[in-house]
This record gives sequence, structure tokens and C-alpha cells, in this order.
Amino acid sequence: MTDTHCPYCALQCAQTITPGGDDDAVAGQVVVEPRAFPTNAGGMCQKGWTSAELLRVPDRITTPLRRVPSTGSGSGGSSGSGGGFEEVSWDVALDDIAARVRAIGEQDGADAVAVFGGGGLTNEKAYQLGKFARLALRTRNIDYNGRFCMSSAAAAANRSLGVDRGLPFPLTDLADADAVVLFGSNLADTMPPAVQHLGGARERGGLVVIDPRRSATARLTDEGAGEHLQLVPGTDLVLALGLLHVVLAEGLADADYLAARVDGLDDVRRSVAEWWPERVAATTGVPETQLRRIARMLSAASPHRGGRGAFLLTGRGSEQHADGTDTVTAVINLALALGLVGAERGGYGAITGQGNGQGGREHGQKADQLPGYRMITDPAAREHVAAVWGVDPGTIPGPGVPAVELLTSLGQPGGPRALFVHGSNVLVSSPDAQVVRRRLEALDLLVVCDFVPSETALLADYILPVTQWAEEEGTMTGLEGRVLRRRRAVEPPAGVRSELEVFAELAARLDAPGTWSVEPREVYDELRRASAGGRADYAGISYDRLDAGEALYWPCPDEQHPGTPRLFADTFPTPSGRARMVAVRAVGPDEPLRAEAPVWLVTGRVLQHYQSGAQTRRVAKLNDSAPRAHVEINPVLAARIGLEGIDDVRITSKRGSIVAQARISADIRPDTVFVPFHFADEGMVNAVTNAATDPVSGMPEFKVCAVQIRREDA
Amino acid sequence: MKVVVVGAGMVGHRFADELGRLAPHVDVDVLGDESYEPYNRVMLTELVAGRIDLAGLSLPTPDSGRVRVRAGATALEIDRTRRTVVTADGDFDYDVLVLATGARARVIDVPGLGGTLPRGAHVVRRVDDARDITAATLNASTAVVIGAGPLGVEAACALRHRGVAVTLVAPTGLLARDLDAVVASVARDQATSLGIDVVTGTGVASVGVRDGRVDGVHLDDGRTLATGLVVLACGSVPDTTLAAAAGLETNLGVVVGDDLRCTVDPAVFAIGDCAETPAGVSGLVAPGWAQARALARSLARDEPVELPTIAGSAMRLKAVGMSVVTMGVRSSTALPTDRVVSLADHGARRHVELVARGDTLVGVTCVGSPELAAHLSTQLDRPGMLPADPMQLLMGASGPGAVESASPTTMPAATTVCRCNGVTKGDLVHAWDAGCTTVEALAGSTLATTGCGGCTKLVCGIVDWLQATDPAPSSQTTSGVRETNVPTR
Repeated sequence: MTDTHCPYCALQCAQTITPGGDDDAVAGQVVVEPRAFPTNAGGMCQKGWTSAELLRVPDRITTPLRRVPSTGSGSGGSSGSGGGFEEVSWDVALDDIAARVRAIGEQDGADAVAVFGGGGLTNEKAYQLGKFARLALRTRNIDYNGRFCMSSAAAAANRSLGVDRGLPFPLTDLADADAVVLFGSNLADTMPPAVQHLGGARERGGLVVIDPRRSATARLTDEGAGEHLQLVPGTDLVLALGLLHVVLAEGLADADYLAARVDGLDDVRRSVAEWWPERVAATTGVPETQLRRIARMLSAASPHRGGRGAFLLTGRGSEQHADGTDTVTAVINLALALGLVGAERGGYGAITGQGNGQGGREHGQKADQLPGYRMITDPAAREHVAAVWGVDPGTIPGPGVPAVELLTSLGQPGGPRALFVHGSNVLVSSPDAQVVRRRLEALDLLVVCDFVPSETALLADYILPVTQWAEEEGTMTGLEGRVLRRRRAVEPPAGVRSELEVFAELAARLDAPGTWSVEPREVYDELRRASAGGRADYAGISYDRLDAGEALYWPCPDEQHPGTPRLFADTFPTPSGRARMVAVRAVGPDEPLRAEAPVWLVTGRVLQHYQSGAQTRRVAKLNDSAPRAHVEINPVLAARIGLEGIDDVRITSKRGSIVAQARISADIRPDTVFVPFHFADEGMVNAVTNAATDPVSGMPEFKVCAVQIRREDA
Repeated sequence: MKVVVVGAGMVGHRFADELGRLAPHVDVDVLGDESYEPYNRVMLTELVAGRIDLAGLSLPTPDSGRVRVRAGATALEIDRTRRTVVTADGDFDYDVLVLATGARARVIDVPGLGGTLPRGAHVVRRVDDARDITAATLNASTAVVIGAGPLGVEAACALRHRGVAVTLVAPTGLLARDLDAVVASVARDQATSLGIDVVTGTGVASVGVRDGRVDGVHLDDGRTLATGLVVLACGSVPDTTLAAAAGLETNLGVVVGDDLRCTVDPAVFAIGDCAETPAGVSGLVAPGWAQARALARSLARDEPVELPTIAGSAMRLKAVGMSVVTMGVRSSTALPTDRVVSLADHGARRHVELVARGDTLVGVTCVGSPELAAHLSTQLDRPGMLPADPMQLLMGASGPGAVESASPTTMPAATTVCRCNGVTKGDLVHAWDAGCTTVEALAGSTLATTGCGGCTKLVCGIVDWLQATDPAPSSQTTSGVRETNVPTR
């Protein structure tokens, strides 16, 4: 029996994995059950219950695969969908990959080889991947899919609060609060067991859900449990400005807190002077009466008014915009005005999405960062990390470019010619996916590490079969910044290697400096040293302490330190020790509606699937429940385009189009359609989404673009 | 390039702010004759109502260090030959001059109001006006507001909110310019219900003044309203004094072309309330802001001015206790081919009207329905988004939608009970039939309740129902026993 955590989202529900018993259905296999743990409180959703299926997916890859060039393939790069794959030995694969990397590097420089990582990788792998890029490949070109989920919240939190830890408090703190506001989060589908923590606020009528859809989470506000603000897509920022306007105008702010702990109030007060409630109502569709009511309720819930606390939480719905960083900033401004951040009761947090979305962004996968959330441009940070790595600081390359920029430069003149992909199905999860496909196809060398033939892997020159979740040891950092142990419960299939082994083998072949352990514990101990003194300091969090059951949240600078469940109680890790309110202005979606594209498209999740669906679409029970993409469409819009029932509809933007089945529902605004993003092929909604990015974070505007919608047979 | 902006109101400020960001190489001086930094004039009645304080009115400080806002710098003269603006503190040379002098409050020409206003009589144009009115409410128990346009109604509501007994003199009716008569009567009912005495059908004959102080308002019908506080909200007039003195063409406002440029001097532009474009003078902030943005872009990028088309007028009342929104076309201005759909609920002081033209919503008027107003205003002028039957926009738009049956007895078998694990009522019934007759056993078999636990109560209810209908489950009993459509074996 092995204690570990779920392979999927950032809630990291605690699980027990046991070998199958006498029952025919499970003999020789494993059984996964939830176990008591603060974040999931003993619960687990359908994804978690069926996770053991991942260990026996029929198309598991267990041998390195090399593309067999199809005869007469076109010009340009060698990657692409032509031809099939042949099995090769690890040595043949690694030798050839190393030789080609070397040749490309000699021709075009080290930056011609790029790396794309993932927020699902363990801390150990994420750390080693960043090190592999900098020391073995010597490239500055590394970024990861966390750019698509957490980068705007991260940028805003760093800017305002001095540090980015998704939730700077334990999730269980929510239970006591009078109010919880979810800015664009659909918890009930993305991490269902987390809904338990909303119970207290719901009992007191204090749950506020901001979403253009009446999502499963929005329904939790029914029957007096709270309010749903069904805003126009892309107007989250204006709504936050409007709430702050009312808080400041009606004298609802925590003046003592602002005076003692916050800079920048004057600029922010001015910036919201232009957003009076009636103007906000006309832009967002949220009535001024509701806006004032929510602002007053939040104030009453705040500690300075004697309330039991309020939490303002952002999700991808408010963050995945070209002004996402500013939107989160506006929410943080609101939390600061109410005196919530660092208060005993209340706070601001971002709900991390991916399993290790938190740890994945701390250890060097980001284009501009080194382990410990250190900036790669900071000489002291470079020196510290170089000392741990045993290299001269000068050997560490400078900052690279964020994900969208990196992907669109692939195979272009001056851009990377080779790409390593780890823990990401980048073809399905990137915006404007058809462009990404062309860029991947233009590469001379695409190496994908995965355990199933994902859509991205099928474009590769090499697919390297790697271990998954229950087959490996390591750590994950959950959405609260608490470090969790992932443990091996089953032996990986023969022929499969861990990515740590892949890095070590390639590093040796590329004559990389430094040491390349393949033992997760050793890599983690190196990570601890590398992070020591950084913003995300893991130095005191050892496997031994974790295995002994300690609840350890970073920063934890030494082994005697108890860790830091709650940040900001006394000070902010900014140069002044005070939080910074930053004035922001509303710009609106990058792509306006127009006559040919009069409808907003928003994207999101369904309960049954995770991310690009590469894993969950291979689990029969999940895939049977949600086998293909659908379009949620209001009856009024459905009638306009002549839908009669579950017809297929085509959605078209400037960039591409998809076909999916209509699901007529009054839960969505009549000017908006919703499509989940877990599907490939004709239902791959990212063929339609906009790759415009936030100027601060590089986050693409997944959440809103202008589309046309038609009946497919029309 | 040196740009001088005369007028530091909302439009002058917006222009300077935009230009400073778009063209960091440009020097901008903004001359304002008030001693305050640029502030949000639209909120002045909110200041009177006490729903915002003075600090909350200040507009953002322009980002660029090359934009200087000079409060208290009254422009005395424009010398177009020397391209300079003369102030008491010195001259400001320009390459481009932008007039954003705004408008003055109109003072009706009746005895008692000639020349300087008597003490106790106020317009509502500037911060000082609003502060004076607010101060006056400390002593005044009554007030008369003359003029029942949006400003007058907002001022009346604000004073009423402060506990003052208010009479609103509305010679042509309340909000008569913005609303059709039947709708205006609903708005009037709203005002009356707040305790505002609305007087219509008669104008003001004179304002009584004793010892330099207002003591009452005499109406055309002979009545006298005794009061020490009179608020004049009788419209505004574009401020063209400076422009006219400089020899620029003026009519109602400073005459400019579609490019916002003055007819006789290409170095001079006018925007906002003072400008008279070929479309006329506006007097609203939204078109003024649009002009400011368009002109800033044009100057920064050396491109032609592109003004967005703003169809019809828009009015959103900001008045404590009242909700009135009107945008675009209304019944009296609709074309014969338009469809006008209205919903009247005068007992609840509610009236909603919308105008559909082809497949586009071109007009919305909502009195007493802020929720619908907010929703409909996001649908205005969006071609292709109108329901086939415009009535649908009003139906089901207020209040919660249909609630699914949450009764364990009546819910259909296909209803999902446990979302986390995709378990339907039918699944639970089958598990019951297979011998899982407790909540724990059902959870073990179907996984219901093992996610977020939110369905536990419902599963308990289903167990109770099953126990009642089927106390001793056995493999023979299900068919036809229960009233739901559980599939039979």
C-alpha cells in the first residue's frame, strides 16, 4: 500500500494505491482510493478514481520510437506527420539525438535548440530540465506550458506582493470566511473536492462567482448561497475596477491597513475614479445594484469591519487575457483595499491549475528564471546557482523568450531548429494551434518525452517513453505551496526510463558540466541547495521530513524551520516591506467583435478531462462520458442559427475553425459560446483561439476571441 | 512638438493622458482654470449625495513626465500669430492647440438670477458648486431644483438622500428630452416615491432674493416655493469665449470639421463639450472621450482622425434610489419599420422598452430595472445578436431560471446526482437493487458522495425514498413499482 497523490490537478488529492485483490477485475493491477488530507478532505473526483487506468492504457509506449521518413516528403523540416515510427534502442536514439543536437548547435549556435517543459513534471524533473537546458544544451530557449496558465497571476503577485505563491494560505482557511469570490474559476469541474472548502461561505450567503457562464461552480451560489455575476467575456478587469471604485467611494476600505502596509493608493484611487458603477454596468453587463451589493458584502466580511474574512481568488477565466496581469493586479488592489492580504482571515490567491503548476514555475523552467524563483538576470542569483551546479556563472545563458514567442519562432530564420518537449501536449494546448503545428513541422528535430502517443508526440522525430505518476518518486508542490511526496507504487514497464535518466544520458553525450543524478532524492537535495535563499526556498524541506508527515509550505530555509503556511502576516517581501498597489487601465479583448465574427468564444474544462486530454481521453470511463468537444450555446443564439437540437456546429475565427456538437443551454450568455479545450482533431478549440499575449506575462488570450458560428450542414 | 490643451476637464485630461502614452516625445501643457487637479465631473452629484468623497473624484495623473497639468492656470488669450496662450503666470507656446474648454452651466434669464448668482443659488458644474451645495444642506431643510434633465434629477435625488425636502421644478416634465412621455411618467413616479415633489407644467417666473440671498422661487402659475437653497440644472452652453476672441469660427460651439480641426486655423483643434462637429455639439462625456482618444492617436501617429460612430444618445442616471437608462432609439424616434417592444409594470414603477431594427437592437430604455438595463446595454448595436423574436430579450431575463427538481422522488432517473463521479439517480437505484442499501454501500458501489460530498444529502434522500418504496429490495421487485422512469431489466 502506497500513499501518494493524484496524477492530475493542483489540488493533488491524497491517494492510496494498493495491489489488486482477488476480484477478477483488479487482480494483478492496482486499486486507487482517496485518503484523508486537508485539500481533498477524503474526497476524489472521477478523474482520480479512474487514475489507475492510466497505468494500463493500451497504447503505452515502452520503446523509443524513431520516425521513418516517408518517401517524397516535402521540403523544409524533417518533422511532421508523414511516415510512421520504428522501434529503436535507447542507445541508438540518444546517440542520434545528441549528434543532431551537436550538429545544429555547431551550425547555428546553442540557442537553435529549444526546450518546452510542463507544469505536471515533478519538482525534480522540472529542476533538472532547466539545468539540462542551461548546462547541457547551453540554450537560453526554454519555457513551459505554465506560461499558458499561471504566468499572469504570477507576474501580478510578484509585482504587487513581492512573491508568487498561488495561495499564500492553506486552502482550509476558506472554510471560516464570510465571503469567497471566484474571479473566473470553475472549481466544481476543475477540482471538485475543493468545493468542500466553500461550504462555510455558502452557508453565510457569501459565495460570489464571476463567470460568463452559469457553470457548475456558479450554481453553487443558488438558493441564497451567494451571487453569480454573469459578466460579458473579457470585462473582468472593469468589474474589479468597479468593485474597488465602490469600496473607495463608499468609505468601505481598511484605512489603517492601507496606511500601515500599502503603497500606491493614490494612483489606484484615481484610476478607478473613471469607473463609476453605471459605466461598469454598461461595459460588463453586471448591474450597478449588484456591484454595490457585492462591494458592501465584501467589506462587511473583512476583518476591519469585524467580519470573519473574505478571500478573493482568481482562476484562468480572469487571467487568460491580453490584460490578465492587470486584471489580477486589480483584484489584488481590491484585496489590499479591504485589508485582506496577510490578515488572519482573508486574502488574495490564484488557484493553480496543473498538478505541479506551483513547483513547476519555481525551479528554472521559465525563460527568465533559475531555481528558487530567482531571476536569471540577477548576478547574485546566477552566482548562487552556478556554485551549486559547479560551473562558472558565465556559462549560464541569459533569459529566453516566453512560450508563444518561442513556439512561433520554431523553424523560422534565426529561430530554434530543434525542440525537446517534456510533460506537455503543446500542439493541443497552445493558442492558434494550426500555426503551432506548422512550426513544429518546420523543425529539423523534435524530441518528445511522453508515455502515450500524444498529438504532439505523433509529430516527433523521436518519442522517448518515460515513467508516469505512480511509477516514480518525487515531489509536487500543490496549489497552497505545500510540498507533497509522490511515491512509486508500481514498477514501470520494461524499457521505460525516467526523464532524469534521459537528461543524464544526454548530458553525458553532450559533455555537459555538473552532476546528473538519476535518483530523485539526490536531485531534490540539489534543488534544495539551489533554492536556498531564493524566494521559493525549499532548503529545509527534506524527503525525511515529508515522509514523517510534516506539512511543509515554502519558504522553509532550514530543517528546523516549520515552513510558512501563511505569508505576509507581518511584512511583504518587497524592497520596502510594503505591498504595492499598481494602477491599471482597462483595454479590453485584443480581438473586437465584428460583423463576420459577432460572438464571443470562451474556453474551459469539463469535469471528466484534464488539460489536453492526452491522459483522460485514454481512460474509458472518462472518455465515454465526454468523448468529444461540445459547444455550449444559448437557446436564443441557437434559434438564430437554426439549431434544432444536438446538431454539429462550426465555429470559425480569423485563425481557424472547429466542428463540435451543440449543447443548448440557458446557462451561457446569448452573446457567448463555450467550448472545452481537451480535444484534438476537428474539435480542437485552440485552432480558433487568439495567440495575442499579455505584455507583462506573455500569457495568451485563451479566454476570449471573436467567432462566427454556423450549423455545420448549413 | 509642443501641445497646449486649454481646459483640464474630463476630456482635456483624457486627451493629454492618451497623448502622453502614445507619443512620449511630445510636450503637453494642460491649462485648467480650477485650482483642483483634473477630476471626474460626472460624479459631482454623487459628491452631493455623499456616495463618494472629494479624493475619489481625482482622475489619474498622466503617466508621461512630459505631460504637465497646470491647475489654476486660466487661459486669458490665444495669440494665434505667435502661437501662444497667455495666462497670468506666463505664456505657453504651442505647435498644436487643443481647446477643451467645456461648457458653462446655463442660467435661466429670470428676475433674481441676473448677473452674479445670489447666495443660496447654485449651478452644478464644478467641484466648488458641489461643495457649496453640500455645505448648504447643513442649514437648509428645503431645496428647489430647477430643471429636470439628468443633472437636475440626480441633484434632486442627492439632496433628498441628504434628508432635504426637495421640490423639482420640471416645466416640460421629468427627463422630457431623454424619455418619451409615458416612460417619463414612470420615472416621475419613482422620484415622487422618494419623497421628491415634482412640479410640472409651469415655469419659473422669478427667484426671490432678499439681502442678496435667495428666499424662494416664484412659479409662472403664481405659486411660491419658499426655500433658501436653489439648484439650477438648466442645461449648459459650450464655452466659446476664448475661441471667439481669438477669431476662430464659433456657432453653438467652436466649429470644427470631422477631423476636429478648427475651420480657420489648422493648428487649433476643439474637443468635448465646447466643440461643434458636423454632427453638432454633444454635452456628454462618452463622445468627448472618443474625440480625445481619436485626436491623440491621430497626432501621435500622424494619421487621419477616425471618430467612432456613436449611434444615438445614451443616458444612465446616477441617482440614489432611481434607475433610468436610455440608449439609442426610442419609440418616438423609431422608424416605422422598427419593432418597438415594451413591458410596462407601472405599479412597480417599472418600464422597459427596446427597439429592434433588422437583426440589431438599436434602442433600450429601462426605468426601474437596473438588471435588465445592464444586460441589454451590452447587446445594443451588435448586429446579428438579436433573437428572432425581440420579445425574448425581455422574457426570462429577470429572476432565476428554471430550477431542476431536487426531489428524490420526482427527479428523472437520468439526473446526475453526484457530479464529481458522474453518478445518476438511475445508477443509485440499480446499485440499491444489487444490494447496496445504505449510503455507505451506495458510495462504495457507485462512488457517489466520494468527491466533494455535496450530494450526500441528496443520496440520503434517495435512500429514504427507496426504503419507503422498496423496503426489502430483492431482484424481483423493481419493474413498475416506482413512479420514475428507471430502466427496467
